[in-house]
Order: sequence, then C-alpha cells, then structure tokens
Amino acid sequence: MRSRSSVEVRRARPLLGTFVQISAGGKDAIALELAINAAFAAVAEVHRLMSFHDPESDVSRMNRDAFHKSVRVHPWTSRVLKGAYEFSRNSDGVFDITTARQLVNWNYLPRPDVRFSSRSWRDIILEEKCNVRFRQPLIVDLGGIAKGFAVDRAIETLKANGVMAGIVNAGGDVRVFGSTPQLIHVRHPAAPGRAAGMVRLRERAMATSGIYFTRKKDGVRYVSPLLDGHTGRSARELISVSVAATECMPADALTKIVFSLREKAAPLLERHRADALLLERDGAPSWIFHSPCDTHDQT
Amino acid sequence: MKSEFAFIALPISALIAPSAFAVQYLTVDQAQRAIFPRKSFTAAPVNLTSVQRKAIERASGVRVLRDEQQVWRVSGGGWFIVDEVVGKHEFITYAVGLNADGSVKQIEVMDYRETYGGEIRNEKWRAQFVGKTSKSPLKLDSDIKNISGATLSCRHVTDGVKRLLAFYEVALKR
Repeated sequence: MRSRSSVEVRRARPLLGTFVQISAGGKDAIALELAINAAFAAVAEVHRLMSFHDPESDVSRMNRDAFHKSVRVHPWTSRVLKGAYEFSRNSDGVFDITTARQLVNWNYLPRPDVRFSSRSWRDIILEEKCNVRFRQPLIVDLGGIAKGFAVDRAIETLKANGVMAGIVNAGGDVRVFGSTPQLIHVRHPAAPGRAAGMVRLRERAMATSGIYFTRKKDGVRYVSPLLDGHTGRSARELISVSVAATECMPADALTKIVFSLREKAAPLLERHRADALLLERDGAPSWIFHSPCDTHDQT
Repeated sequence: MKSEFAFIALPISALIAPSAFAVQYLTVDQAQRAIFPRKSFTAAPVNLTSVQRKAIERASGVRVLRDEQQVWRVSGGGWFIVDEVVGKHEFITYAVGLNADGSVKQIEVMDYRETYGGEIRNEKWRAQFVGKTSKSPLKLDSDIKNISGATLSCRHVTDGVKRLLAFYEVALKR
C-alpha cells in the first residue's frame, strides 16, 4: 500500500471472539479513519447477528425457537446459512454447523438453555424470506464461516467508502484488495509465535485453520473445535490448512473441509477456484493445490 | 493458466530467533482522538482502595491486578481509560471510551504483543527443523504485518472491559 504521498491507517478491535485488524491506504487519513470505522461497524453487525454467546443474536434465537416455529433472520445471517448449507452438501456433511452440540459438550461453547440432540445440517430448513426452521431439536454455531463473511463485508465497506487499497484480518482470516500484492505470513502450525512462511496475495482472501491455541485434553485424548461433521471426529494433529479464494467466506469454510479431506477436497477447491496449502507439524508444506482456472492473476 | 499461489518458506534462522509478533496501533494521544475526535482530555488517574478493588472483582468476576488505573475525563462528558491485559501468549494495551452514561463508546487496541517461550529451547523439538527449510530462503521480513493462522482468542480483553465497566460503577460514576 505504498505510493507517493500516501498514508496507511491501521486499527485493531476485539470482535468475533478474536482481534480484527483493518488497514487502509490512501491520501487522506481522516477519510481512511471514517472508512475503517464503517468497516468495523459492519464486522460488529456480523458479531451481533451471529454470536453464539449473545442471547439476542439470530443464532441464539434460532437455537431457542426454530424447532418450534419459523424464525426470521437478518439477510446477512440468511446468506451465511445458505453458504453453510452449500458447503455441507458439497462435502457430504464434513462441514456442518450443527456440530455445535459437540462443541458445547467439550466446553468450547457455553451450554444454551434449550433441549437439543444429535442431528445434522439436513435438519435445517431454509424457508422463504429469510425464515429458518429446524426439523429436529438442534443447535447451530456459525464459528466456522461467519468470520470469513465478516471480512468480506468489511472489505465491501472499505471499497464503498472510496478506499483504494486495504487489508482486513479477522484472527487469521485475511482479505486484501488494491493493486499492490501483499505478503501474508502463515503461522507455524506447531509454534504459532513464528511464521512458517508467507504467501503473496493480490485481490484475494486467505483463511487458515490450525488447532494450536484450542487443542485440549478430554480424558486421555486430544480434542479441538475443528470437527468433521461426517465422522464426528475432531482434528488432533498440529497441522495447518490455508485456503485462498476470491472471497473470504468460502476460504474460511473450505479450510475446515480440507483439514478433514486433505487431497480429496481437490474437486471442491477447483469448483471454488481456490488454492490450498497444508503445513505439517514441522512447518513444511506437504500439499499445495493450485486452482487450475485463474481469475486473479493479471500481473 | 495456473494460479500464482506460492508458499515461501522462511529460513531456519527465522524459526530459532526469539519469537514475538508485535504491532503498535495507537499512542495514548492517537487513541484519544480516534475515540473522541475534537474533544479535550483531563487526566484523572484513580488509585483503588482495597474495598473498591473487591467490589469490582465481585461485580465483574474478573481479578484486579493493579490498583492504579489511567483515566481521563472527556470534555462534554465521558471517560477515556487505558488498560492492559496479559494472557498466556499475549500482552495487550487497549483504550476504552465510555459515554457519559457509562456505556461503551469504542474499544481500540493500542499495543498488541504476542510472546512465546519454551518451545524452541527444547532441543529435541528444535531438531525437527533442521534440514527442512526452503531451497530458496527469503530475507526475513521482520515487520510481520499480517499473519494467518490459528485464531487467538480476545477473551482477556473482553474480561478487561467487563472489569472496567465495574470500575466505572465503583470509582467514576457519581
């Protein structure tokens, strides 16, 4: 984001359960600050709608009532639910927002005051006009996809406010725009205070999933919040998966799928024109998938 | 045409170097202007009594580690507070702007530092890296501007804000 007489403004706020950093480059610092404030407001709105912890969020309202009656949600929540539904269908349930049940059982999420049982994404009915209904008593958590969506909304807001170049990073879900490529470091999967390496991104998003911070012992075995909805097993290895795509929401969701399916996720990555990078415990890449159809390389 | 997606591995030296990821976002002065543009500030630091400290801990459920709190009174109403939290891997200085009624106006991270100890001092663990670096090592960019990876929780800051809201009730509200 360097050019003659340009300034860069960089801010960070605690949102979405993590730290969200927004940088914007341009000529007028005041205008950039206003644009960044607006972008944070968009992220805060996603937080407000999709937080599992806030009893007034769309997610909590669905978890409370959607088994008994249709629940009308915000168009943004509806978009994320539709996105999640597509990823569940295309991954045969590896990606499944109803695994919230298991996250509650492992104390990654607080226990909501509702009855729920073992169900799947197939029991969620997305009705007309942003209405949602559950066929079975279940709970959902959008933690695996909402951060990416929030990053996309923040980028959209920066652009709408006339910003020419920017970076939004929500706890590791990154998207960049502007003419200059940006170097994004990738955390070492077993030593996250270090970068194992970096990737150059231009007009593109990248999300990374790893379990260094979240892995814990449940009895004798390790568990993590990175769950395969198809097998019900959680990731235990200190590896990391990064996925690059045009938008951050698909990148976010695809990391979870690649974590479980590894090379078998190639057709799905191809469909989303996404790239993938799998880092092993020693920080070395064991698999790099290049999206075959290139829509972003115009150097 | 294939995508230009490429991973550039960092050399071993980067892995063995002391581990830290730090960004300074705002000075006190900048944070004041970011949260309360065009206002003036009067320093009004508070030293908590042990009774106040206990009242804050009881109300917020969060421990108070320091009795001294950096506070500024904002012209036209409101408060500006600078606070620090320390987590397992992070040390964060942040500012909270409170409206005149004590509600949160804005939170801004001022300094963000991640620190990690231990893992690299373990020789056996460190040996895993030997011989596994990139064939085309790049000069380490010491200024890591953006890092993608496992998500670090902001729980300590969230707890800190909870504590500051109780601090407002106990020490600032009148």
